[in-house]
Amino acid sequence: MTRPLSIAIFELRRYLADRGELAFGIALPIALFALMYGTFSGEPTFNGTTHIVDLDGGAVTGEILQRLDAIDGLTVELLSDDDATAKLDRSAILTAVVFPAGFSEAVVAGEPAKVVTRQRGNGGNAGQIAVSIVRGVTDAVASEAAARVAVAGALDGAVAQGRIDATLAGLLSASQERPLVTVTSRQLGGDGGDDFVDRLMPGILVMFLTFAVTLGSQSMVEDRRLGTLERLLTTRLTLGQMFIGKFLAGLFRAMFQALVLLSLGFAALQVAGASEYFQVIAYCLLIAGAVAAIGLAIGSLATSRDQAVWAGVVITMFMTVFGGTFFPVDGALDVLSRFTLNRYAIDALDSIISGGESLPSQWLEATVMVGVALVALAIARWGFRATSR
Amino acid sequence: MPKEHPAKHPVQHPGDRLNGPNEPNENGAYLVASGLAKSFGDVLAVDDVSFEIIGQEIFGLLGPNGAGKTTTIRMLSTVLPPDAGDVAIGGHSVTREPDRVHRLIGVCPQELALYPELSANDNLVFFGRMAGLSGSDAKSVAAENLALVGLSDRAKDKVEKFSGGMKRRVNIAIALMARPKLLFLDEPTVGIDPQSRNHIFETVLRLRDEGMTVLYTTHYMEEADRLCDRIAVMDGGRLIAIDTPHNLKASIGDPAEVTLEEVFLKLTGRSLRD
Repeated sequence: MTRPLSIAIFELRRYLADRGELAFGIALPIALFALMYGTFSGEPTFNGTTHIVDLDGGAVTGEILQRLDAIDGLTVELLSDDDATAKLDRSAILTAVVFPAGFSEAVVAGEPAKVVTRQRGNGGNAGQIAVSIVRGVTDAVASEAAARVAVAGALDGAVAQGRIDATLAGLLSASQERPLVTVTSRQLGGDGGDDFVDRLMPGILVMFLTFAVTLGSQSMVEDRRLGTLERLLTTRLTLGQMFIGKFLAGLFRAMFQALVLLSLGFAALQVAGASEYFQVIAYCLLIAGAVAAIGLAIGSLATSRDQAVWAGVVITMFMTVFGGTFFPVDGALDVLSRFTLNRYAIDALDSIISGGESLPSQWLEATVMVGVALVALAIARWGFRATSR
Repeated sequence: MPKEHPAKHPVQHPGDRLNGPNEPNENGAYLVASGLAKSFGDVLAVDDVSFEIIGQEIFGLLGPNGAGKTTTIRMLSTVLPPDAGDVAIGGHSVTREPDRVHRLIGVCPQELALYPELSANDNLVFFGRMAGLSGSDAKSVAAENLALVGLSDRAKDKVEKFSGGMKRRVNIAIALMARPKLLFLDEPTVGIDPQSRNHIFETVLRLRDEGMTVLYTTHYMEEADRLCDRIAVMDGGRLIAIDTPHNLKASIGDPAEVTLEEVFLKLTGRSLRD
């Protein structure tokens, strides 16, 4: 067993020594995922700046500014009254919200308070949205302050103000954590609201794992071209050991890729927990086995590097395009997808990562990988004998 | 002055057993090829070739391009199964006991069978492991062999940065990793400078003197004349002559005047083969 293992480790070292392969197998998927993740997810739906003139300086205005500052995608820019006027005059900004002096005092006292919005023209779309957000936050903070005043008034000094404040703060906090009404967004089209990113990570991972088919197919052909295959056959290495070694080499390469990409994905995006991580790794082992065996089969049948590369690329592209890598497939494509590793692999990984399912429940997808690996290994062995005659 | 046949003075080492497993037979032959034949489609590449290689001799296999030399070596080294005939190396059949034969042979193929993106040392250690050496043994034998071919100071350098002569020497060093009793050298000096060629000659002679048997193919007649104890000439897949360089030259004239190239051209003709 040490000789096949030596071959596998040796091939892994060759892979790691090849910066081009590393860039393609590791750096490219990371860059691609980052690009797609940045494009389709993680970004707030609104990016804008609200310009605030704080003439009040009180606690309520402070609270409003704090909450505005915490809103994702909204930048709060504080301006003096003169600056705001000057900028509005020359259209450097299109809206400004002014909290007049005495605003906080009035709110706390339960008296009518005003916030003034200044705008140039209609304020622009982004400006109107920003003002709406400020208005919403101001209403919420003012309502909370009004509630405090109302409760204190109703109790008429029977309860200490500190206790009223603490109780109200607790209630408000609880209502924020478990609001009575929740609003969720669902993307139209696709499979009815599945998170795009949940499918994106398995899709890209499987796509790059299947690209290893082409790499694996070249290993055997390259050994033939270099003359090292013939040389190996004059050593004490048996044909069976060589096949196991080459298979393990493909498996190791794919698993190295999977480990790096998954570790980064799980650590950076925290898509799921440790249990899911290890289950996904275990399933990736099966994918890597199937991919390594297909690569070996192509390499054994191909008589030239070009043949191996073309066969690898055609098979990989077919599986990537029709396997639902970037979008869920249905209709006629669904039938085609059943002839791809990607379909089963992505379904299994997606189910484990975001579906809350366990690895044993993916027995069909696991069986497909093992079956493909065994058939491809048998073809590889037969093909090697046929092409070596 | 003709070279003396080494079989007349076999090197005896303590514990050596003549005629035992892995040893020359009663005639001193370490390799016995009998009736070898191989066809590729309609082309008869090797036709009924029989010869013996005596233990601890350098045996030259010469012939024009397409004569069947490389096909013969591939059959001798178990890579290609013969259509007919068999070969015994150290008493073991290459067709029935290839695993046994692999323990006895080292093959330096005509092409540079190396991994260019890895260091010379990594190449040697890898093939050493494949030859059955442990990790530590492979490392120490690799160091010995790199010293033997004069590349100790370049052990860690990538082979792709080496000159043609250095690559040829690495190619030979790999073949020696198994510590073979029989070494196949298929045109080991193609396309290299005189210094590297001379270094390879000295290495081969030293290996022979240390007890190794060598099968050597080349297109350079002066090289064969200088190195080989006996020479076989192939043409058209058949063995057409086999003798010492001296006797081959004597067959057409005064050995002191005749060159091996003249013998070769007389035997194989002057028509182009490629």
